[in-house]
Amino acid sequence: MLEDIKTLRKAPREEYYVPGHRTCAGCGPALQYRLVAKAAGANTIFIGPTGCMYVANTSYGCGPWAVPWIHAQITNGGAVGSGIEAAYKALIRKHKTDAEFPNVIVMAGDGGSSDIGIQALSGAFYRGHNLLFICYDNESYANTGIQTSPTTPYGAWTTFTPAGPVSPEGKKLFPKDLPKIMSHGHPELKYLATASIAFPVDLMNKVRRGLNAQGPSFLYIHAPCPKGWSFPSEKTVSIAKLAVDTGMFQLYEMTEDRRFKVTYRPKELKPVEEYLKLQGRFKHLRPEHIEKLQNFAQRRMQEVGIEITLLSS
Amino acid sequence: MSFKEVPFAGTVPSPKRENEGMVTGNWRTKRPVLDKDKCTDCLICWISCPDACIDQSTTGLAFNLKYCKGCGICAEVCPSNAITNVPELDYAD
Amino acid sequence: MGVKKRISGCVAVANGVKLADVDVICSYPIRPYTGIMSELARMVADGELDAEFIHGEGEHAQLSVVYGASACGARAFTGSSGVGVTYAMEVYSPISGERLPLQMAIADRTLDPPGDFGSEHTDALCTRDQGWLQGWSSTPQEALDMTLMWYRIGEDPRVLLPQYSCQDGYFVSHILGEVEIPDAAQVKEFLPPYKNHHVLDVRRPQIIGAQIEPAMGPPLQYQRYQAVEGARQVIKQAHAEFAGIFGRSYDPFVEEYMTDDAEAAIFIQGAHAETAKTVARRLRNLGEKVGVVRLRVFRPYPTQEVRLALSKFKAVGVVDNSANFGIAGSSGVMLTEARTALYNLGDKVKTVGFVGGLGGEMITHDEFYRMFAKLKEIAKNGKTDRDGYWLPFEL
Repeated sequence: MLEDIKTLRKAPREEYYVPGHRTCAGCGPALQYRLVAKAAGANTIFIGPTGCMYVANTSYGCGPWAVPWIHAQITNGGAVGSGIEAAYKALIRKHKTDAEFPNVIVMAGDGGSSDIGIQALSGAFYRGHNLLFICYDNESYANTGIQTSPTTPYGAWTTFTPAGPVSPEGKKLFPKDLPKIMSHGHPELKYLATASIAFPVDLMNKVRRGLNAQGPSFLYIHAPCPKGWSFPSEKTVSIAKLAVDTGMFQLYEMTEDRRFKVTYRPKELKPVEEYLKLQGRFKHLRPEHIEKLQNFAQRRMQEVGIEITLLSS
Repeated sequence: MSFKEVPFAGTVPSPKRENEGMVTGNWRTKRPVLDKDKCTDCLICWISCPDACIDQSTTGLAFNLKYCKGCGICAEVCPSNAITNVPELDYAD
Repeated sequence: MGVKKRISGCVAVANGVKLADVDVICSYPIRPYTGIMSELARMVADGELDAEFIHGEGEHAQLSVVYGASACGARAFTGSSGVGVTYAMEVYSPISGERLPLQMAIADRTLDPPGDFGSEHTDALCTRDQGWLQGWSSTPQEALDMTLMWYRIGEDPRVLLPQYSCQDGYFVSHILGEVEIPDAAQVKEFLPPYKNHHVLDVRRPQIIGAQIEPAMGPPLQYQRYQAVEGARQVIKQAHAEFAGIFGRSYDPFVEEYMTDDAEAAIFIQGAHAETAKTVARRLRNLGEKVGVVRLRVFRPYPTQEVRLALSKFKAVGVVDNSANFGIAGSSGVMLTEARTALYNLGDKVKTVGFVGGLGGEMITHDEFYRMFAKLKEIAKNGKTDRDGYWLPFEL
């Protein structure tokens, strides 16, 4: 059992995602990787489907993990994780290894989770493998140069959703709600939560609860991307915090009772515009587009039970 | 790199404390500098560093400049303004 | 000593997998290979085999599951047919690139269209250059033996490569043949436990499958090339030891049938070779100098052995049971590769391609008679007027 971390001071000092990787300065996904690895500890195997956290971490034939790591295709993180979990189960049962059963963590981007990788993710959860699947959401296909993914917000600029006279808002579609897709319909699901790099202790504890759950667990981590979202590298954590404080991202968890439990309620909910205006990807938006995003945030909050008292801007 | 130096199937041992195959300190244009008098040792900068470049030493927090990319998150999140980003050109090294 | 049973190619392979004490199996249904998985599921349910039996959500997942399992040091097995084989295409190269010696059985089936269940080698041949070992059996007995043989060869520390164990759909997979099922002690002697030195183990953490800098590309690809090429020696050695332990022997690469003093021969792989042999035997009774050469291993392609076997004939008819559209020689992969093997001999041996049995049709006795007649004509005239014939339309 991995114990809850009570305070920042009690967080493990050991690093398993060590310095020395080619992620951008101020990379949100890199920060969440470090926190996940720290929380999981030494008895962990990471599966890295193609995405930023494969490309930017392993270039030049090396990587920053102090624990075992294996590449998976962008399509198949859930299936490769299933095979690893099954192998350890079989090898331990048949006395072919004396290793302890490891924490099996799939670290997939939003494309590898919500788009091309969703079949493998769903298959693994349906079958009940004992693994933690993490979607680090930087809301785009970022390592290929910022293309829209199903979790890219409405109104965001990407190289595949440029704003122009015909489509003034850039991206026209609203994003898939991956944690909701995963939260119901997989009977074997043992734990599900959302987390943010702006709430590191909460994030690490959710990793540990997921690993303790002894079954398929899903963690959806909001991880801002300075390059893809166009903001200065020092703002990564502040923007992640603003996403939560404006309701654009909601923090909650779900255990086996299948009910959402909000784990953080913003004391004073800020208008989404405060979040949008710091990011170049939204700079073309007109008031009517911003209103749509405000409504979107309110709908998402209501769905998980966050009451809305909006501060006027 | 010659043929003999390529490991079997490209598989390499995991690094222990740092990945020397990708030293990133030379990316930095601004260097974080800590004012120890202002530092309350709250560890928010430590936990917020994507590159694990802030070490908790016996004499207080220390920056690992071999890998620090100079993103500036540490200064941004510090609640007591104890970290300043100083241009690298101000340093001789 | 083993026991003799009348079983299908599918059940024969399942018996091979059980004897190999496989740890992780991943299934997905598609005809005709499904019979292998149904039999394995029964074995697991009845407690005859202790393995994790995982229902993949598709063939792509099947290959991905066994990739992960093999990377932990588990002996892993999967299989497919037809469009299932091509659906998993993305994952074949990562498996051989990470040098994971798992096994996939393929019971051949046409790709779509034509939407039928019939056997064609087209599916498995699509995968031929993915860095795997690949061979075809023509009887249920050979299918069982190849299962054991491939694990032994693929897991050899000098090789460490995945293996396709192919058999014709229906003609082998669903037709009963007499099979001697070896006993476990024999298999234990032949097949040591799977040990790979680069596996996922927290006690010895490693990074598997990292991206590289371009300069590492050529040597890494060369490593895989050398592994496939080097497998030839291990294949020979394993076949010799197999014969010693099990008392059944196979020519490792090419099997020759009635080729002594033959002037014309059919060169073929898989179950249709058995039909060709029957026709060759009848023609021999009539005094014709004909024979059959059956290819057993397609990857690594036994260039020397094929050259040696075929160079003694005046005319060789290469049978392709696969659909290739627009290929050099207008026939199939079997023809182009056989011609490459023979190329340096100049024009001594005349070769011609015969495409037959597509969509799962039989290649009939009558068709083989026509092929032999064409070869006789070519041998007599010393020339060919075209590269290939699609049967039955063009011959």
